[in-house]
Amino acid sequence: MRDQTAVPAPRAAEPSALNRWFKTLLKQKTLIFMSVPFVIWIFIFKYVPLWGWLIAFQHYRPNLTMFQQEWVGLEQFRFLFSDDTFIRVLRNTLVQAVIKLVLGFVTAIVLAILLNEVRVAFFKRAVQTISYLPHFISWVVAANIISTALSIDEGGIVNEVLMRLHIIDQPIMWLGVGHYFWGILGTSEVWKDVGWNTIVYLAAMTMIDPSQYEAAEIDGASRLQRILHITLPGLKPVIVILLIMNLGSILETGFEPQYLMGNGMNADYSENLEIFVLKYGISMGNFSLATAAGIFKTVVSFILLFTANSMAKRFGEQRLF
Amino acid sequence: MTSMVKQKMGLLALAVAMAAVAGCSGNSSNNAGNPAPASSPEASAPANTDAGGEPKEELKPVTFTYFNANSQVPNIDSNKTEIGKKLEEQTGVNFNLQYPVGDVNTKIGTMIASGNYPDVLAPDTAIDKVLDAKAFIPLNDLIEKFGPNIKRVYGPYYNLMKADDGNIYFLPFSPVVGEYIPSPTIDQGAFFIQRRVLKEAGYPKIKTIDEYFDLIKKYNDAHKTDKLTGFSSLIYDWRTMGIFNPPMHLAGYPNDGDVIVDMSTHDAKVYANSDYTKTWLKKLNEVNSEGLYDQASFVSNYDQYLAKISSGKVLGFFDYGWQANQALQNIKKTGNDDLDYMPLPIVFDNNTTDQYLDPPSFINNRGVGITTAAKDPERIIKFFDTMLKEENQVLIQWGIKGETYEVDDKGRFYRTPEQIEMLKDNAKQESIGFSYFNYSWPMYGQGSTLADGNSFNAGRQPEVAQASFTDGDKLILDKYGVKTFSELFAKPEDRPWYPAWSISLEQGSPAQIFTQKSKDVKLKYFSKLVLAKPDQFDGIWDQYLKDFNKLDVKAYEDTLTKEVAAKIAKTQGK
Amino acid sequence: MANTVRPAAEPAPQPQQPKKMHKRFQSPGDRIFDTLNVLVLSLLVVFTLYPFINTLAVSLNDANDSIKGGIYLLPRDLSFDNYKYVFKEATIFHATLISILRTVIGTVVTVFCSAMVAYTISRPEFVLRKFVTIMFILTMYLNGGLIPNYLLMRDLDLIGTFWVYIVPGIIGVFNMIVIRSFIEGLPDGIIESARIDGAGEFRTFIQIVVPLALPALATVALFTGVYQWNSWFDVFLYNSEKVNLSTLQYELMKMLANSNSNSSMTSASAFANSANSSSNFVTPSSIRATMTIVASLPMIIVYPFLQKYFVKGMTVGGVKG
Repeated sequence: MRDQTAVPAPRAAEPSALNRWFKTLLKQKTLIFMSVPFVIWIFIFKYVPLWGWLIAFQHYRPNLTMFQQEWVGLEQFRFLFSDDTFIRVLRNTLVQAVIKLVLGFVTAIVLAILLNEVRVAFFKRAVQTISYLPHFISWVVAANIISTALSIDEGGIVNEVLMRLHIIDQPIMWLGVGHYFWGILGTSEVWKDVGWNTIVYLAAMTMIDPSQYEAAEIDGASRLQRILHITLPGLKPVIVILLIMNLGSILETGFEPQYLMGNGMNADYSENLEIFVLKYGISMGNFSLATAAGIFKTVVSFILLFTANSMAKRFGEQRLF
Repeated sequence: MTSMVKQKMGLLALAVAMAAVAGCSGNSSNNAGNPAPASSPEASAPANTDAGGEPKEELKPVTFTYFNANSQVPNIDSNKTEIGKKLEEQTGVNFNLQYPVGDVNTKIGTMIASGNYPDVLAPDTAIDKVLDAKAFIPLNDLIEKFGPNIKRVYGPYYNLMKADDGNIYFLPFSPVVGEYIPSPTIDQGAFFIQRRVLKEAGYPKIKTIDEYFDLIKKYNDAHKTDKLTGFSSLIYDWRTMGIFNPPMHLAGYPNDGDVIVDMSTHDAKVYANSDYTKTWLKKLNEVNSEGLYDQASFVSNYDQYLAKISSGKVLGFFDYGWQANQALQNIKKTGNDDLDYMPLPIVFDNNTTDQYLDPPSFINNRGVGITTAAKDPERIIKFFDTMLKEENQVLIQWGIKGETYEVDDKGRFYRTPEQIEMLKDNAKQESIGFSYFNYSWPMYGQGSTLADGNSFNAGRQPEVAQASFTDGDKLILDKYGVKTFSELFAKPEDRPWYPAWSISLEQGSPAQIFTQKSKDVKLKYFSKLVLAKPDQFDGIWDQYLKDFNKLDVKAYEDTLTKEVAAKIAKTQGK
Repeated sequence: MANTVRPAAEPAPQPQQPKKMHKRFQSPGDRIFDTLNVLVLSLLVVFTLYPFINTLAVSLNDANDSIKGGIYLLPRDLSFDNYKYVFKEATIFHATLISILRTVIGTVVTVFCSAMVAYTISRPEFVLRKFVTIMFILTMYLNGGLIPNYLLMRDLDLIGTFWVYIVPGIIGVFNMIVIRSFIEGLPDGIIESARIDGAGEFRTFIQIVVPLALPALATVALFTGVYQWNSWFDVFLYNSEKVNLSTLQYELMKMLANSNSNSSMTSASAFANSANSSSNFVTPSSIRATMTIVASLPMIIVYPFLQKYFVKGMTVGGVKG
């Protein structure tokens, strides 16, 4: 067995490039067996359903076949882009996404490093386990807790603390002031998912060769130096890859916290693309609009993905593909 | 080589083993693999037909599937409930009842796209899509042949039920039979006020919005130290009626949604940009500037709202009874009648007659139909017909004599306090079958009267209502000289189009888009209008009007006016 | 992944380095750092533990009493009715079994397949590497839409079967990329030397890569497991008619919907409800709290077993290059 793949059958004569390619292919047949069936799988499960994109150009009625549908061209896209609120919705989407991305990355990495620096194994594990708990609380429950904490009534702990500390003298209606919304959203997202997001970095840290730390310690490197010169570089490949992938899905801001904590007073800051699609597409049963928005998101994703990837390439960093 | 093969085999074996474990569930589903899992009556002969003794040929047990998007109760076989079992004894028919969990549009959308229908379907708001897909079979001939009771109940409404092609595709749930009995309690809209406010003022009869807020102000002024909230609203997600709808009611109209329908011209007019709304919001603005309005209304969610009302510190609010019900029940439980509320039919001025109570209505765009996938529509229509026998209508609303209701010597139905208490338990409602049968089937409409004069709805029978009133209820009703809460409200006038909110709008039409956009604009401005300094109100209002009138108001009004006219024409048999 | 074969040919994991070979020098800065670190992490624990405690308290409180709000750390009116309600239907136990099955099978299959493909695209000499990578990555940002997916499942005869939970998710692309970046981070030459030893690709994968990438596999297993455990939408879409294929989350969602309809009106139907049942013993909020606890407890119990793979002592673990 081991010989079959390792040693190619010798061939006479000068092989052409194509020939050589096929020969390599033959040589790598185990790799092909290990991957190509899954390529077929993904083709069937992810690429075949893309015929559904045609729906975006139709006035779709599910009982008709593709040939019977009424074609409306770019009408759905026109509705999407020409809406007065579209620019604002897009702005909110981008700002919310950037906040989530930056804050999410920074806090998760910082927490991973802080945890890594804890010397007491039990404390470390306990903190890590507990910080991951809010991930299992649905947004409905979480949003309720947040809006109670921020309320101007009894139980509004945030206002109570701030007033007790004499930072404010009147309770603030946090969810009623539009421009606070982004901050509240960002904080809530961090609170809910920082522990969860840390996991992948902790896993990456286990791959760092511990002898590096020992060597650094002997050299008298400080805590900070070790973090900066060993831990962070060790995490860099994972960080870069995750960053590129997340940039690609930047328009996927989610809608639950925005929807649940949104209201008439902060709508100018809370409403994002997904809520827009929810309102005018899904809740009205308009599959076509939802699909059109999906296509728009994919286009943006691809642009960002390829840009980020080629930039990573240029800077000599790990890249996605 | 060998070791690798072994590993591969090992993996395979693991997979097979797991498949076997999963098999119990995997295999049984294979028969459904073929495209029509909807109905397989032969596959599941119910075992419990023994109750009816030897089944007659036509009572051969059969199970149909019924997907009901109207309710959200646990899935069940109908013969597992007491009512379902009694109906099975009469018909041999059992239903596998299924209810949605996620989005109904999505579920129905996949049904239509794949053609996988249940035998019987109640699509709720998605009914237009189902009709569009021609998924229901016409019922005319079936009713003619097998449905004497269906004809009796629905006959007067045939015109309203007919589609453009003259066929009847589904049976609505609201054909009122006999005299119409309004609900004795207020489960619809009203201005609620705490009883201690009325008590302290000596139970005055109040009618106008000014009187209402004056009472609240007076009480609050006298109890400054109690930190009370004068008036609160529920404004969250789709629950925006607390601030959107009062202008309509204050002007003397029932809940027609976003429009007021003129009684003589039958024109549907949006009122969000009218003086009614301006007056209402200006009043709230004034109330707010006096420190009586609960500013958190604009940011609170439903849970927080219910908590606030339950606290007993809110002196007044506008809401629909069904929406505030949980909080009101909670207050009842405290036993402190002072904190309980009284629903009042408040209007703008003394010349207006209130119209809070729902008029009898025939909602002709919700209902239950038989799908093209149904194997035996005949049996289904026979079952429907059997259900509509008067004794079975009693069964689905009142239940079983001696168990869930009693009959006095005059033939009046009533429930003992124990029975009322017992039926407050949802589990009991489910096991008897009320949760499954008292709606979403061919049935008498709410407020119907039985042939013997009893109310069709147990809840609307005066005897039942009286038995469920607390001492405090009785006291305050006595002070106002009425027997039930609804007696304080004016009798609903005849509105054949009612309710306009149930009119379905074409998907993606300007009218449908308007409903969403206008909601956004209103939400954005109403908070500003209420919380603004009084002298800024008019400026903001003008700005609001400018933004609001940019929307396609006309398209919406035209569509609704047209639909209202169409429904009126149908009732008149045109 | 517990039953993975230990690599026989490879040296067993190095015995732990003697830990404190030399007395660690604790500078004042170090001590301040440690103190601050413990403080920050303790604060995090307070913030992240609260939602869970609060949810637990609500779930153990009488539902009607909970409507009044003001429940923070402890139940005010202790009651097990919410739990009784959740467990009253016998179906929930069978549904839990299905949930466990789909979680275990789904996780094993996904982790194995994702890791295998990840290995192939980590091999720089693999001629189809770029093609396979891009084929997979693009699908992260592509979505054909709900109806095409539904029709695909129908045409593949997956509807109404258990496998509709497993097959569409055989490979998680995100997870696969994470594993790949770990494999690429393995010390140079490990894989090469195995190849020189004559091991075939598949054997190298199983015997070398899998054990070395365990932290990554554990991470991915956690992601997949949580995803599988929490899924309910596919049950709703594909198997809602199949009582015996229902899952715990779906049953809980049903109960939530049920408690919802008792107290709210989505259509005219509520006229009937309000007339007849005037009181509820459960409310959506308390059922939601209860289902959060019921559904997340198993995840929390299982967690430490996975955690040990990616949270290690500072100098423990890792690989000697």
